[in-house]
Amino acid sequence: MSGLFGTLSIALSGLSTSQQALETTSNNVANANTPGYSREVSDLEPGAPVTYGSLTFGTGVVLDEIQSLRDPILEIQLNQETQQQSSLNAQLSQLQQIQTGFSSATSGIGADISNFFNTLEQLSPDPTNLALRQSVLTAASNLATDFNTAANNLETQRSNLNQSVTEDIGQVNTLTAQIATLDQQISELQNANQNANTLVDQQTNLIRQLSGLIDVQVISTGNGGTELTTSNGTALVTGSQSFALSTQPASDGAEHVLSGAQDITASITGGSLGGTIQIRDQQIPGILSQLDQLASGFANAVNNANQQGYILSNSSTPQKGGNIFTTPTGVTGAAAAMSVAITDPSLIAASSDGTSGSNGNIANLSAVASQSVANGQTPIDYYSNLVFQIGSTTSNTSADADAASQILQQLQDERGSVSGVSLDEEAANMVQYQTAYQAAARVVSTVNSLLLDAVNLGVDTAED
Amino acid sequence: MRVNPNLMPDLLAALDQTKLEEQQDELELATGSSVNVPSDNPVAAALLVENNDQATFNASYLQSLATVNGQLSTADSTLNSVVTTLQRAISLGVEGANGTLSDSDRNDIAQELQGIQSQLISLANTSYEGNYIFGGTETATPPYTANPSDPSGSGVTYNGNTDVNEVSVGSGYQVAVNVPGSQLFSESGNDVFLALNNLISAIQSNGDIADATNALSSAANYLTAQRVFYGNAMSQVQSQTTYLDTAKQQIAQQQNTLGAADMATAATGLSAAQTDEQAAIEAMSKVSQNTLFDYLR
Repeated sequence: MSGLFGTLSIALSGLSTSQQALETTSNNVANANTPGYSREVSDLEPGAPVTYGSLTFGTGVVLDEIQSLRDPILEIQLNQETQQQSSLNAQLSQLQQIQTGFSSATSGIGADISNFFNTLEQLSPDPTNLALRQSVLTAASNLATDFNTAANNLETQRSNLNQSVTEDIGQVNTLTAQIATLDQQISELQNANQNANTLVDQQTNLIRQLSGLIDVQVISTGNGGTELTTSNGTALVTGSQSFALSTQPASDGAEHVLSGAQDITASITGGSLGGTIQIRDQQIPGILSQLDQLASGFANAVNNANQQGYILSNSSTPQKGGNIFTTPTGVTGAAAAMSVAITDPSLIAASSDGTSGSNGNIANLSAVASQSVANGQTPIDYYSNLVFQIGSTTSNTSADADAASQILQQLQDERGSVSGVSLDEEAANMVQYQTAYQAAARVVSTVNSLLLDAVNLGVDTAED
Repeated sequence: MRVNPNLMPDLLAALDQTKLEEQQDELELATGSSVNVPSDNPVAAALLVENNDQATFNASYLQSLATVNGQLSTADSTLNSVVTTLQRAISLGVEGANGTLSDSDRNDIAQELQGIQSQLISLANTSYEGNYIFGGTETATPPYTANPSDPSGSGVTYNGNTDVNEVSVGSGYQVAVNVPGSQLFSESGNDVFLALNNLISAIQSNGDIADATNALSSAANYLTAQRVFYGNAMSQVQSQTTYLDTAKQQIAQQQNTLGAADMATAATGLSAAQTDEQAAIEAMSKVSQNTLFDYLR
C-alpha cells in the first residue's frame, strides 16, 4: 500500500488517460468525413498491480495504444472490386461511343448496302437511263463514304485512347511514388514504436486510387514493407522504392506500357487502364477488321460482277466493264480506303450481250446481295451480325458494370460498418470519458483534502 | 451489429438509378423507338437492319413493277393495233381475190396495203420512255426500216436482236419484259411483213391472191398467239404487286414490333421512376440530421 500519494498517482493516471481518450474521440469526430480514414479506439489497460503482503493493489490505468479499426481482407476485396469496376466503366463509356455509329437501321452502312441494290433494281427495267445509272454511282459513293467514316471514327477513338493510357500511366507513377514515400515514413514511425495509423490510412487510400487505374496486388503490408505488383507480377512498389512505368508508341501507333524494357501492355487487365487497353487493342481492331472484310468482300464481288458485263457505249465493239470500287490490295484498311473508281455512269456494265438495251448483267450485280461476301454471309447479314455483336457486347458490359458497382457499394457499406466514424458512438464515448475525468478529478480533490488533514494532524485548527 | 454510419452513398446510388430509368423512358417517349442504340436490344437492332433491307427491296420491286407494267401495257395495246391493222389487210386481200376487179381497183387496194405496211413498220417501232420495245435488247435503234431490196423479201430490215430482258420483281423472281420483233413480226414461216409484202405483190401482179391472203391470215394468227405473253406478264405483274403490297404491310408491322416503343409502358415506367426519385430524395432529406451530440448539455 503506497499511501495517499499512491492514491493521488492513481487518480492522475485516470485524469491523463481520460484526456487522451477524449483526444482520440475528438480526432474521430474531426475526421468523420475524411476519405479513407479508419476510426480509432483508445485501448485502455489497468496499470501493473503492486503487492503488499497478502494484498494486491491496482496502480491506475494506462493507455496501451490507439488502435485503428480496419479489416485487411475487406480492404483487399475493395481493391479488387475497384479494379473490376473501373475497367468495366472505362470499357462501357467507349463501347457506348462506338455503338452510336451503328445505331440506325435506316442510315449508315447497312441502309447504304440495301440502297445500292435498290438503285440497281431501278435501273433494271430501263438500263440506258443515265439518271438511273447516276443514282447507282451515288449510292455506291454513299456506301464508300460511310465505310470511310465508320473506320475513321474508330481510328480516331483508338488514338484518343492512347492519350488516356499516357495520362493513366502518369497517375500510376505519381501514386506509386507517394505510396513508397509513405511506406518509408510508416516504417520509421513503427520502428520508433510510434503510432502510424493516419499514414496507414493515407496509404490504404492511395492504393485504392491506384486500383482504379491498374490491376494492383498488395503482397504484404504490415510494419512498412508494402509490396505492390500488377496481377502478372510486375513490381510497382517494394517498401520505400517505387518503380515507374513508361509508355512508348509501338509500330501500330498504339502507346505500349513498359516496365523497364519489358512490354506489359497485354497483361494489364484491371482498372481504367485495363479497360482502355481492352477497347483499344481488342474491341476496336476487331470491329475495324470486320468492316474491312465486309468492304473488301463487297467491293470485290461488285467489281467481279461488273467485269462480266458490257458498258454503255457508242462504239460498235462492245466493251467489258471494269471496277466500280477501288480498295487496297489486301483486306486490311479496305473500309477506310474504299472509294468509287468511276465517275462516268455509262461505265456500269448493265448489258450482258453488248447491246445498250440489255439489262442481263444487272442480275449479276444484284446477285451480290445474296452472295457470301465475307465469312460465308451475305453483305446485309454480315452487317446486321456486326450490329448484334456491338450491341450485345455493350449491353453485357453495362450489366457487368452495374453488378460491379453494386458489389462495390456493398463492400463499402461493410467497410463503413467496421471503420466508419459514428457520431452517436463518439458522443457516447465523449460522455463516458468526460465523466471518468470528472470522477478522477474529484478523487484528486478528496486526496488533497485528506493530505491537508494529515499535514495538519495535531494542530488545533478549530477556532473554539 | 454495427452499421455503416454513412448512408448517403447508398441513397445517392439509388437516386442515380432512378434518374437513369427516367432518361431511358423519356428517350423512348421522345423518339417513339425502343431500340435507340444496339445495346437496348441487340437482337432487335440486328433484325431492324434486315427489316430495313427487306423494306428497301420491297419498295424497289414495287417501283420496278410499275415501270414494267407501263412497258408491258404499251406493248400489248400496240399489238392490239397491229392485229386490227392486219385484219384490215386480210379483208383487203379477200376483196382483192375477187376475180371481177379491174387492174385499177387492185392498184387501189395495193396502195392501201402499202399504207398498211408503213403503218405496221411504225407500230413495230413503238418506244416506251425512249426505248424501242420490239427490238430485243437493241433498244436504241428503230427495230424495223423499210427496205424493198431486203434479201428476206419482206420489204423491211430487222435491226434488233433476239434477246429478252428480265427484271427482278421479287426475291429470286424474274419476269421477262419483252418479246423481240424477230419472234413477233419476223418469225420464220409466220413473218407478217413477208406475208404482207407477198400479198401486195400478188395483188399487183394479179397472182394467187387467195393463197397470199391465207398466208397473211396465218401469220396474223401466230402474232395474236404471241400477244398472250403480254397478257400473262401483266397478270403476273398485277398479282406480284398485290403480294408485295401485303408484304409491305407485314414488314412495317414487323418493324413496329421490333423497334417501336410501347408508349403506355414507357409512360408508366417514367411515372414510376419519377415516384422512385421523389421517394429517394425524401429519404435523403429525412436522414436524421441529429446525433447524440445535439442532446448533450
